[in-house]
Amino acid sequence: MSEQKPAPVEINPKLLELLVCPLTKTTLEYDRERQELISRAAKLAYPIRDGIPIMLPDEARAIE
Amino acid sequence: MEASDKQGFVDGVFHQVAARYDLMNDLMSGGLHRAWKDALVNTIAPPKAPVRPWRALDIAGGTGDIAFRVAEASGAPAEITILDINASMLDVARARAKERGLSDRIRIVEANAEKLPFESGTFDAATSAFGLRNVPDLAAALREAHRVLRPGSRLAVLEFSHVDVAGLDRLYDLYSFNVIPELGRAVVGEAEPYRYLVESIRRFPNQERFAAMLRTAGFERVTYRNLSGGIVAIHSGWKL
Repeated sequence: MSEQKPAPVEINPKLLELLVCPLTKTTLEYDRERQELISRAAKLAYPIRDGIPIMLPDEARAIE
Repeated sequence: MEASDKQGFVDGVFHQVAARYDLMNDLMSGGLHRAWKDALVNTIAPPKAPVRPWRALDIAGGTGDIAFRVAEASGAPAEITILDINASMLDVARARAKERGLSDRIRIVEANAEKLPFESGTFDAATSAFGLRNVPDLAAALREAHRVLRPGSRLAVLEFSHVDVAGLDRLYDLYSFNVIPELGRAVVGEAEPYRYLVESIRRFPNQERFAAMLRTAGFERVTYRNLSGGIVAIHSGWKL
């Protein structure tokens, strides 16, 4: 039996257009698979929880 | 309280009260908060039939009460973004947006009002109701609000202020310090969040001082008007 993860709640594409990194104010990349918004400039991945982006550096994952 | 401690404390307060936040507002203000909020929404004059996309931002927008009023007062291409640092409050906002059939016009973002995750000049209007009081660095939040507004647009803030009617001030103090915390205990099961509420109201800058802070943040043509004898005031400033 294969386990299926429920499909993530999609973030609104119009909201994606508005968002920038709160620290560097630079554009973000949307990682649909991981449900994250990536700021290359700040080296942070901001999580999206149930379609709500969490634009808090304290909640973000540090990336290379 | 240090600014760094304040954020954690405020987070806890709003996690506790989120589910019954709007009910408590009705009880505490005797329903007056509805008229105050309508006056705030009228201040930014949401367009009935916008000819191009029109975007409003509600800062520290919590359960979405103001955003829904702006959405209902405006026509279809108008979009409202609710920004708040508290996930519990935003969960309530999301559920209500769905119930009201407004999900397609409401955007929800969890973020700090001191560090807005938007480009400069993004919004056609900004509001904040009973939220800025809880932001540790108020001056930073006002600078950010100014930055994300498009030139020619306006910020309107509804906040508790300083009563300017003789006699009403004493009555208001009595009510605030005695009745409100007990109401909180009865409705939410906790008095402490509402003691915080009353104290934070006392600490918030009065009408003239807050107007001066708006000017310092870059706003022009700053005005305010008192409602209910100054229990609350609506401040307005333009980015020109």
